[in-house]
Amino acid sequence: MATTVSLPETPHREPSHRYDTGVWSWLATTDHKRIGQLYLYTSVLWFLIGGIEAAIIRAQLYNPNQHLVTAQTYNELFTMHGTTMIFLVVMPLSAAFFNFLIPLQIGARDVAFPRLNAFSYWVFLFGGLFMNFSWFLHAAPNAGWFGYAPLTTRPFSPGLNIDFWVIGLQILGVSSLAAGFNFITTIINMRAPGMHFMRMPIFSWMAFVTQFLIILAFPIITVAVTFLMLDRFFGTNFYEISAGADPLLWQHLFWLFGHPEVYILILPAFGLVSEVLPVFSRKPLFGYPVMVYSGILIAFLGFGVWAHHMFAVGMGPIADSFFSITTMLIAIPTGVKIFNWLGTMWGGSLRFTTAMKFAIGLVAFFTIGGISGVMHSSPPSDLQQTDSYFIVAHFHYVLFGGSMMGLFAGLYFFYPKITGRLMNEKLGSWHFWLTAIGMNLTFFPMHFLGLDGMPRRISTYDAGQGWEKNNHLATYGAAIIVIATLFFVYNWLSSLKRGAVAGNDPWGGATLEWTIPSPPPDYNFAKVPRVTSRYPLWDRTSPQLTVDVPHDKEDEQKMDVTIAGQSAGTAPAPADTELNAPNAHPSARELGIVMPTPTVKPLLAALTLGTVFIGLIWHKNLPLMFIGAALFVLSLYSWLLTPLEPEHH
Amino acid sequence: MTRDLRMRWLTPALALLLAVGLSACNSFAPNTIFGAHSEFGHSVDVLTRRLLYMGIVVFILVETLLLVILVKFRHHEGNVEARQFHGNSTLEIGWTLIPAVILAFIAVPTIRTIFKTQAKAIPGALQVDVIGHQWWWEFRYPQYGVVTANELYLPVGRTANFALTTKDVLHSFWVPKLNGKRDLISNHTNYIWFTPDSAYAWNGFCAEYCGTSHANMRFKVFTVTPAEFDAWIAHQKTNAVGSAPPAPAIAADSGKSAGATTTASAGAKGATPANAKAAPAAVTTPVLNVSDTTSATYPRSQLPEWVKPKTPTPAALTFDQSATGDVTRGATLFKTAPCIACHSVRGVPTAAGIIGPNLTHVGSRTTIAGGLYPNDLRHLQLWIKNAPAMKPGSLMPLFGKTEKGDTPGVYTDQQIADLAAYLSSLK
Repeated sequence: MATTVSLPETPHREPSHRYDTGVWSWLATTDHKRIGQLYLYTSVLWFLIGGIEAAIIRAQLYNPNQHLVTAQTYNELFTMHGTTMIFLVVMPLSAAFFNFLIPLQIGARDVAFPRLNAFSYWVFLFGGLFMNFSWFLHAAPNAGWFGYAPLTTRPFSPGLNIDFWVIGLQILGVSSLAAGFNFITTIINMRAPGMHFMRMPIFSWMAFVTQFLIILAFPIITVAVTFLMLDRFFGTNFYEISAGADPLLWQHLFWLFGHPEVYILILPAFGLVSEVLPVFSRKPLFGYPVMVYSGILIAFLGFGVWAHHMFAVGMGPIADSFFSITTMLIAIPTGVKIFNWLGTMWGGSLRFTTAMKFAIGLVAFFTIGGISGVMHSSPPSDLQQTDSYFIVAHFHYVLFGGSMMGLFAGLYFFYPKITGRLMNEKLGSWHFWLTAIGMNLTFFPMHFLGLDGMPRRISTYDAGQGWEKNNHLATYGAAIIVIATLFFVYNWLSSLKRGAVAGNDPWGGATLEWTIPSPPPDYNFAKVPRVTSRYPLWDRTSPQLTVDVPHDKEDEQKMDVTIAGQSAGTAPAPADTELNAPNAHPSARELGIVMPTPTVKPLLAALTLGTVFIGLIWHKNLPLMFIGAALFVLSLYSWLLTPLEPEHH
Repeated sequence: MTRDLRMRWLTPALALLLAVGLSACNSFAPNTIFGAHSEFGHSVDVLTRRLLYMGIVVFILVETLLLVILVKFRHHEGNVEARQFHGNSTLEIGWTLIPAVILAFIAVPTIRTIFKTQAKAIPGALQVDVIGHQWWWEFRYPQYGVVTANELYLPVGRTANFALTTKDVLHSFWVPKLNGKRDLISNHTNYIWFTPDSAYAWNGFCAEYCGTSHANMRFKVFTVTPAEFDAWIAHQKTNAVGSAPPAPAIAADSGKSAGATTTASAGAKGATPANAKAAPAAVTTPVLNVSDTTSATYPRSQLPEWVKPKTPTPAALTFDQSATGDVTRGATLFKTAPCIACHSVRGVPTAAGIIGPNLTHVGSRTTIAGGLYPNDLRHLQLWIKNAPAMKPGSLMPLFGKTEKGDTPGVYTDQQIADLAAYLSSLK
């Protein structure tokens, strides 16, 4: 019924209670929004670290035969750059949005397992710190993010470097799997009344699909890495070539994980862009069902293309042909997404906010990565391209031009919902244009470097190979990206205090998260909304936008238009004083809403689990490992025996 | 107002275009994958060009459409609310089917080329065993009993069938101008074959990350006429010579081959190309000085610039310039030196190591250290003195007495000069 959607309109701050501020409140939090922010801050920090690694790589390659860093350090840098950007930046940055947004978008008060959620974050944080700690021991991983056997086996990598990588990946896998199951349960069970699957916001849909990729792909890498761990620590022979092992076992397992991983990295960004484009085009998403189905199809086909990373290993013509065709097929649903985004903008009224610019950036630049991707779906052609700089260009257009552009769009779009304030649009515009120019100047020349025969992963190259100019350009581009990132960081930090107050719905949004205050109260929704269409807020604020969209039959009159008579985007921003007014909004207790009790038990479980792994790398210290394991079990018991929620009264 | 808006877009948008455009104008590309010089390369070339041109067309269409949308539908003051539609089945089916058809045009030649390039090599092909080592290449010609390192000689017009294996980690065999990559996989034998169609010198690279000095695992390929190849094989089969090289060799062979080119040009179609993009040399043009068996190798004077290594030597590594090597002293020293634990020299019974490159005709090679340095006395001396400083991670230990490293050095600069002189004489 129309009148059942009664949502708080007054902006307010979170009610104060004893866990509201201070370090303890963050250590003990089970609030999905706070955990989302922890993911966000942590992964932005690692984005800066991974960026510094990239900058050093580009500085080294600026001139031929240059030795700013040694070959050994260079190899560590490119390994850690890849590992960091994939596992510590794009995945957790996506996880930040999963955490913050999924409950808000589906009309829930938290995720299904709030404490497991906290556990996921702490394990992730520990895994990232663990892997980066290797720098201080001069033993950073150095076999590439793909860690091909037998280079990673003990005879060829006797040091701690690969130990850090192997154990670090195991730890991060625990975090991803726990989070994956959590979000799947959340989305299946906790959608608001009336939110059918085909009414779910498209970001939540892509997040949902991504979780299935995670829970299906991560067990594979876990198995692959466990084999390697057993080889390295306990003398088994899974990859030990002197005992006759087949190193292709690693490659098949790794890429069976590794290719779905590519879609784990890109689908959340697709989801974010699919939220941003409709709002700033003032049109519903073009072909919503096709966008959903193409996402599912991409995920499904994503499991059948892994060996296109291995066309050079000599699989024979039948396997080459099979993986070539499946790879070409996956281009079709991907292309459909591009065209549907264009269809969304066609006929719209486009407002070029920073978020919109980054979203358009994804459409423009991901397309380039998609086209070069089709070029190496053809094995004979790929034999000339694989492991050359052409591939480096390709996947940076996908991951920087695609994932990062989409995530930046999401950051600018949801920053006001997270912090209550808007980021500065002028600085944002600088950030966008410098990033776009820098990114293209860095990676477009790499296409030519690859076609001109420059292999990748080389710490230096000889003079006179015709590679100087394009390496110069790429390094200039990297410098521009560094400057762009400074704009971003400054904008981020200064807007926390000085940004314009956002209000509930600064952009004229369409979905549930924009119906509640920014930042949302800890319980999110004072009253759980009943949803009657894909765009519940537009039904109220701009019903003319949703006339074509399916609605509940009994809901012909749609939402109560008079409640929010103002059209979206032009809603007057509430005064700062109003935002800061104390007790402007009732607390959860006053509303009688039962929220999970904050607890540090998940943090304890993560720390004790970490102890086991520290024991393993610390010269295989068995006593420490057993003590860690025992404490881990104890902390799990203690966690499970603590009630989730306070007693009901 | 709207005009200003458009102008604000223009500057950064043009900068973006410039960024992309700048990279395209690169006239010098000696290792380009385009215009390959083998029939394998031609098949790949045709396919890659088709993919590239189709890609460029799709790129232009999509990006133009995007730009049109951005300009046409931008919001301005007082414009009416957006026209509303949320889907169009005909359109959506259309832009699903059209890419499918385009992909079919790629898939058919792809499958055809896969089967063509991966068929069995023709009988009678030249067999070459390629063995990867961290970080150098071993090349064996089993039909002739020849073993060499880092430099590959191939006859023009004859199919060469490569059997690829590795002694340690994975590597990948890649000569961009001749063939696509094929990985060297531990406990596997991989194959790739191709037929070079013109005589020249090419760069080869390791294209699979293989550890510390992956960047420094390079090799050279010399494609020569069948007669020259036979002469080279005949010379390589001989035992180590170990005599001082004729001093004016370089001047002599440049003069002779210049003469040969002139003579041949009456009947031949072309001469040695000035750069890799020019027409390939005609097969009949002699490149080598086949009559001189002491230098039946690619004449150094005719090496194109891009196959000559330009790696600078480490500044900290110096050598006593007054030490003049003596071939005879070097030969005597070598017989009992630690060198023989890893290196073989045919004709020197004690030197039968198989860990490092075979040195039987090391003096005839143009490079040392996996294509990293030119093969001359100075570089050989420094290499023997401290290989790990010359090449990161080098498995060859240092030998200079004054050097500091993981193992103690044993030789004075004079002894090293003698060894280098001896090795240089192994033409």
